[in-house]
Amino acid sequence: MTKSKHYAALPCRKTGCTAHALTESEYCWEHLGDRDAFVASLNPRDLVDAWLAGVDLSGRDLRGANMVGARLSGAKLAGADLRNADLRRTFLDGADLRGANLDEANLEFAVLGGADVSEASFNGANVQRANLVGTRGRRARFSKANLYYARPGNADFQEADFTGAHIERTIFRRANLAGACLAGTVGAANFENANLEGVKR
Amino acid sequence: MIFRPFLLNVNESNAFVLACEETQEALLVDIGHLDGHIEDFLHEQRLRLTTVFITHDHYDHTGGLRSATNHYDVHVLSGGAVGGAKARKVAHGDEVRVGKLTGRVLATPGHTNDSISLVFPGIVFTGDALFSGSIGGVSSPQSGKIEVDHIRRNIFTLPDDYEIHPGHGPASTVGIERHHNPFFV
Repeated sequence: MTKSKHYAALPCRKTGCTAHALTESEYCWEHLGDRDAFVASLNPRDLVDAWLAGVDLSGRDLRGANMVGARLSGAKLAGADLRNADLRRTFLDGADLRGANLDEANLEFAVLGGADVSEASFNGANVQRANLVGTRGRRARFSKANLYYARPGNADFQEADFTGAHIERTIFRRANLAGACLAGTVGAANFENANLEGVKR
Repeated sequence: MIFRPFLLNVNESNAFVLACEETQEALLVDIGHLDGHIEDFLHEQRLRLTTVFITHDHYDHTGGLRSATNHYDVHVLSGGAVGGAKARKVAHGDEVRVGKLTGRVLATPGHTNDSISLVFPGIVFTGDALFSGSIGGVSSPQSGKIEVDHIRRNIFTLPDDYEIHPGHGPASTVGIERHHNPFFV
């Protein structure tokens, strides 16, 4: 069976369905028969370029997962443990990452636009050049994370913690940073039209 | 479809290889510098580079064009007069074929008069017209209006799940930019 993958995704076999089949399946998440068996069959260390849009991996242990270039748009990853995961160029747009742990993860060029990362932890993570446009991230933690040239435009990072983060060229254009902590940040960021009310420096 | 982005040293610009898996024909979108990683990728994947598509005539998107045309038997597509003898000017609506893949040129002027984008099923290359959370710099308010109008008309009418791959910075999707880009909402 030819494998469905990002940039070569196959159509879901369900008649009339316009979604793509998941990697290692002939069906999309919505039309997948045994979801638990599917999730159990995934090898987190081997998900490069996988097509996993919409999958529910909430609370899963995904430490050190290799999802480089994968498409996980709209995936459910709330509470997942993604410490040290390799998520370079991974599409996580619209994903639910509330309370997930991404400490020391590599998210360079990752797409998190429109995702919910509220109360998620990115401490020490590589978030360089990541797309955080419209991301919801209240009380998210980015302590000592590298956000060089990341793009959190229009994002909601109220009460988020950026203590000691590298924010050179980070584009916080029109972001809501009310009550956020920017103490000890390094570098010059773009705060054009951002809400900086009550920001701690 | 085979797809690979490359981050170049020239002004941190992006270049992209898109290829047809069946015929191994490849297209290069922008070429600020003919990076060794691009050549290695083409070689390793046994791809035959046939076309270079230039989104606009700025050095960080064209600087490697002479090297590319010297090393490979390619023709150059652009919205202006880039590429010398091997050049062909394309305009909104023109088809671009890469093996069995068919793309379409979209007019997205504003950053420059010759700025064009290229859409294939599921993926659009926007050059410096549209970035993640931003738009291309313009020289006048009128150019800005032209840019925004063309993005609304030609990019934001694509499906929300289409990927956007701009000339600088991270990828995005039509949905993200349509709903959250500060220049549009």
